[in-house]
Amino acid sequence: MAEVKLKNVKKQYENGFVAVHDFNLEIKDEEFIVLVGPSGCGKSTTLRMIAGLEDITGGEISIGENVVNDMEPKDRDIAMVFQNYALYPHMSVYENIAFGLRLRKVPSKEIHQKVLDAAEILGITDLLGRKPKQLSGGQRQRVAIGRAIVRVPKVFLMDEPLSNLDAKLRNQMRAEIILLREKIRTTFIYVTHDQTEAMTLGDRIVIMKDGYVMQVGTPQELFNHPANLFVAGFIGTPQMNFFEARLDEEDGSYTADIEGYKVKVPQYICDELNKLETVPTRVQLGARPENLILDPTGENGIKATIRVTEMMGSEIHIHADCADGKSVILKVQIADLSDEEQIQLLAKKDISFTIRERTINLFSNTDGRNLAVPDAVPVPQEKNKLVYDGSEDADNKKKRNDQ
Amino acid sequence: MSAENKKTKFKSKSRRERVSRIIIYVFLTLLCLIWMIPFFYLIFQAFRGESKSMVTYVFPKEWSLNNFKILFNDTNFLSWYKNTLIIALFNAVLQTVIVLSVAYALSRMRFKGRKLLMNFMLILGMFPGFLSMIATYFILKLIGLTSENAVPGLILIYAASSGMGYYIAKGFFDTIPKSLDEAARIDGASRSRVFFRIIMPMAKPIIIYTIMMAFIAPWGDFMYASLISFGHEEAYNVAVGLYKWLDKEHINNYFTVFCAGGLFVSVPVTVLFMALQRYYVEGVTGGAVKG
Repeated sequence: MAEVKLKNVKKQYENGFVAVHDFNLEIKDEEFIVLVGPSGCGKSTTLRMIAGLEDITGGEISIGENVVNDMEPKDRDIAMVFQNYALYPHMSVYENIAFGLRLRKVPSKEIHQKVLDAAEILGITDLLGRKPKQLSGGQRQRVAIGRAIVRVPKVFLMDEPLSNLDAKLRNQMRAEIILLREKIRTTFIYVTHDQTEAMTLGDRIVIMKDGYVMQVGTPQELFNHPANLFVAGFIGTPQMNFFEARLDEEDGSYTADIEGYKVKVPQYICDELNKLETVPTRVQLGARPENLILDPTGENGIKATIRVTEMMGSEIHIHADCADGKSVILKVQIADLSDEEQIQLLAKKDISFTIRERTINLFSNTDGRNLAVPDAVPVPQEKNKLVYDGSEDADNKKKRNDQ
Repeated sequence: MSAENKKTKFKSKSRRERVSRIIIYVFLTLLCLIWMIPFFYLIFQAFRGESKSMVTYVFPKEWSLNNFKILFNDTNFLSWYKNTLIIALFNAVLQTVIVLSVAYALSRMRFKGRKLLMNFMLILGMFPGFLSMIATYFILKLIGLTSENAVPGLILIYAASSGMGYYIAKGFFDTIPKSLDEAARIDGASRSRVFFRIIMPMAKPIIIYTIMMAFIAPWGDFMYASLISFGHEEAYNVAVGLYKWLDKEHINNYFTVFCAGGLFVSVPVTVLFMALQRYYVEGVTGGAVKG
């Protein structure tokens, strides 16, 4: 139950590799913050710096009233759940959970009660006598969470706690973490590379890339108004589509022209564009797959040829190539189509689609910033890659492995 | 027809396999026998009653316990044995503590010059220990730990150099996930508490291995032990003491007694190994982290 503040926090390793650049964040009391980003973006390093497991090279971290830069992990009053559980193998589940309390010299009666309470919350009361090796993955993760919640820490840190679980169990545990959070009102900092976890769990999400914070915001903000091309590409499955567009102005209103297809730019974006010193003429127009609408006549909008269709059950993902060779993905809700229309669609070769105008985002062609988001962070340029493509930078990975 | 063919092929393959196995087993049995010969020879000679000199045959003509009587009543063997046991016990404790601490520190902590230190120790370890023997002797002589005080002197020598044997233990600690240390540190444990409460219980096999190696080494050390004791018979260890009986002037009177002594030297080592081997076999890290 404390605020956590990170001011200009930096982490540089001895070989010169900078894992985190100038990280600034104020986490409110009882807030659930999710750090998300691709491998090697510095999210785990940031969490470990808050935990005290990594020294910080510059800046200041405070938990509650205390600056904790040089404080040992044990004195920070935090608890952490590790990706690989990190249970003490020679101790029973009970002892694993009680270990932290014993070190803090809590009277044994109280320990007993607290362990039972924590076990009750997590539904592991029957397992208290077992050793970790006798537990399944999900049960081990529960014990790891039990070990963390039993102390009622000021801050609860979770480092990809669900990554090692299978898909079904992960969904189940995700729901349980939401419930857990209702029961234990404390500050949560959660690291994941899974955007679904980030979107469903976080009050606010911090997106990172190459050690830089790309955007901090609520899940809706990130999804609807991504600050730059990287965020736009990272959040949302399938990925947002990007089109080269020309901006035409008329009386303070703008139209985006994609190879002759005109999209009216929403008023709120026009207002922001008008505040700019120079409005770029060429931009990237971003539209999510669900906001590309199939034209029933096949005449209007942008023409494309279907490459692959994926039947997802409740929706169909259409991978198509536009006339200029650019790939796009459309998401079509099946509930909107009759069986006959579905069959027709799956058999189709040539389609055309329009864009739902009010949902578009415009990004700078040079630095990838969202033109309608004030103070948006540009995409780090050194990698020469504006849009997230799911790959980890090989150079980055090598440097990390050198540590 | 084809089924029959297959059958024949199958049969011939299995026969070939069987023959190769028989050859392998015969070879291994022979190796075993060759390896066991010195042990049996030692036992037979220790119980030989007809003479005390070296003979050309193996099986005694007369079985007797006389050699053991001589060993315990008429020689300094018990005092050598006591010296060696004291050194071995001290060494087992000191070396284990030092080796495990050094190995854990090198495995877990990151400090300036860590790699340099490890490389330095590796290279230093490549030089035979006796290169520094003369220097060591004079240092020990200065502080009065030679001759009749050879026992504490030897304990000091073994303990002082033991940190260099950290490789195997470090290799073991490297396999224990770091996140366990980190979890314990967050739970409220200090570094030393992490070491003793979390890592040590998981490191049983390597503790046992280190204890055994540390305990066994002094029983076979000859060079340092003979130099440091420098002719003071009461300060000999078993290796130095027993070896004296193989001199030209002693061998005809002491050979069988030497064998009896050799037999006794193997007792504590065997007992220790038998007592500890069950811990040695299997680690206890199951379930700690995602496997």
